[in-house]
Amino acid sequence: MDLTPNDIQRQALDAVDRILQRNGDTSHNKKLVEQVQYDEGLHAELAGAGFFDLALTEGAGPLDAALVVERIAESAAVLAASGTALVFPMVTGETAAGPVALSNGQGSPFRMGQFASTVLILDGDVAKRLDVRPGDVEPVNNDRTGWPLARLSAAALQRAPALGPGKGDELRNWWRTAIALEAAGAMKGALRQTVGYVKDRVQFGRPIGSFQAIQHRLAHLTVSAEGAYWLGLEAAYRGAPAEAAAAAAAYVTSNAPLLLRETQQMHGAIGFTREYPLHLWTMRLPALQRELGGLTRHARDVAKGLAAGLEAGSARVAAQL
Amino acid sequence: MDFSWTEDDVAYRNDIKTFLRERLPENWNGYDKSNLTKYKADSIAFSKAMAERGWLTQNWPQEYGGQEASPWRAAILSEELWPIGEPRGPQYMNVNWIGPAIMVAGTEEQKLYHLSRISAGDVCWCQGFSEPDAGSDLPAMRTRAVRDGDDYIVNGTKIWTSHVGTADFCFLLVKTDINAPKRSGISILLTPMDTPGIEVRHIDGFVGEQAFHQLVFEDVRIPAAYRLGEENRGWDIVRRALAFERVGAAHYETGQRILRATIAEAKRNGSFDDPEVQTKIGEVFAALEAARLLTYKVVDLRAHGSPPTADSNLSRVAQTTALRMAGELAHLVFGEEGLVAGSGGDIRRVLSFGVAAGTTEMQLDQIASNFLALPTKV
Repeated sequence: MDLTPNDIQRQALDAVDRILQRNGDTSHNKKLVEQVQYDEGLHAELAGAGFFDLALTEGAGPLDAALVVERIAESAAVLAASGTALVFPMVTGETAAGPVALSNGQGSPFRMGQFASTVLILDGDVAKRLDVRPGDVEPVNNDRTGWPLARLSAAALQRAPALGPGKGDELRNWWRTAIALEAAGAMKGALRQTVGYVKDRVQFGRPIGSFQAIQHRLAHLTVSAEGAYWLGLEAAYRGAPAEAAAAAAAYVTSNAPLLLRETQQMHGAIGFTREYPLHLWTMRLPALQRELGGLTRHARDVAKGLAAGLEAGSARVAAQL
Repeated sequence: MDFSWTEDDVAYRNDIKTFLRERLPENWNGYDKSNLTKYKADSIAFSKAMAERGWLTQNWPQEYGGQEASPWRAAILSEELWPIGEPRGPQYMNVNWIGPAIMVAGTEEQKLYHLSRISAGDVCWCQGFSEPDAGSDLPAMRTRAVRDGDDYIVNGTKIWTSHVGTADFCFLLVKTDINAPKRSGISILLTPMDTPGIEVRHIDGFVGEQAFHQLVFEDVRIPAAYRLGEENRGWDIVRRALAFERVGAAHYETGQRILRATIAEAKRNGSFDDPEVQTKIGEVFAALEAARLLTYKVVDLRAHGSPPTADSNLSRVAQTTALRMAGELAHLVFGEEGLVAGSGGDIRRVLSFGVAAGTTEMQLDQIASNFLALPTKV
């Protein structure tokens, strides 16, 4: 057990940070969100530097990919990072040729669909792969906030071939891990922005961050953001086993609503403007909360898994109890 | 970064499990603390057996009889011992922070005397910290120690003290300079509990047998040679000790045990079919897992030689939150049967957790100032 990044991981994260910083600050990301554009330049640079291959690279693996995905999410870059760098390679065994989006196959809005060259679809329990052609996806009006959204056409869904037996479960588990990592990054980003804001914002003659009424709430949010981060990383390290992946997704979907509400609340009215960058992180959380059935599905799958495990080892467990 | 246990760690955990099976009665679930003599004798016998295997103080430096084992070993040990009721009894405190505090600040005589007893597993301690008017605001303590020749004369009251009934010594905080700034006038006295003048009053509570006591000191004469560290410099030692105390116990494993019993009961009484119950089970499990990982982060920092950080406060808050969630879910699932004393759904088991070892509010304060660097002064 060692929770400190090794030299290679540290170097990789430093390199990613340098690329993200060079690529632009939050103004750059705000502009992309407002114009509903994908950060093609950043995608190309990260892909060229091999960061989207990490999951399948010898000497690296899904944990290294997860570290990079979380860091990208924390920066609020407009990228399909988790689908491209983690879910697609782990489910297909291939490196993605372009942006990869994830859809539930029911025609409902999904993240980054209009920019994807490939869509992995979880149609019921069956995993499908769609190599996107013109007309397959239709952009959705999301009022230019949060993730760019699109819908999949019925024809595209029908055309998409199934990936094979067992792949549905794999896709669900890696997708849940991706939800946890994307949400952990968004939660940490929103929290960092808010901590900075309450240190600067003066009311009643003092920074509002000096009020205990603010401090304790931020401290609680820190626990949930850090918890999300570690659950996501551990699930990735372990190869996204069903229980760990569902627990990670359950944790973020259980805790993200409060973090969203509180970080917006602590900003007051400025937090609702397009000019102020908080929305880059907070407005991503509702989409992540909804995917794969949301908290109820993730948490109930955890419960069913635990109950099945208890029954399987009932004698041993009874002794433990 | 590596989330797997080494082969050595796995073997060590298996050895502990085997030891526990051999050592404890089947379905052992903690000591009966109504018989203090037997409780103390049994906990000493268990700790001595651990000491014989080299496990009791394995994390200590070699010069004090330890093996400088990885902090991960202490974490594994805690995960195995804590959820079943901590068969070391109060001695977990000795090993986790009282002994290390003596190593850092003790005289050679104190080290020789106390560390040998602690590492042999046959001495019990209590901690004299809280006072009626100094709880979370611990430096506001008033128990005074006035120098008189080679002794201190101690007067004052400590309260909420656990493990008094079994204690041979008290790690006692006293004020030695009432005019100094609050944190500067505190000293530590390693006080034998049989010192004349210490009055012990049991306080009847409803969250655990023998949980609360009041210690009244009336002109108690304690040799100055029993002072740990420099006079008036005890607070730094205490802060360090508290940082270690906060992660000394794997409460998330206690929560997992409560959760397993809750699932078994939900299956038995049919409430498992309720989607809301299933959702809560998943949320509790996830919260306990997050608490485990945030605790591992603290263990990892120690394994890398880092001084205590506010990560220990994050761990503590995560553990408190998750354990309470587990207790509240058990209370829900067990229904009216949860009202029966000793039931798996008894809410009293988790109520005190946000108060013991530093209130949740104090942990949140520490996170705000030391992790988030929020302004504390106007």
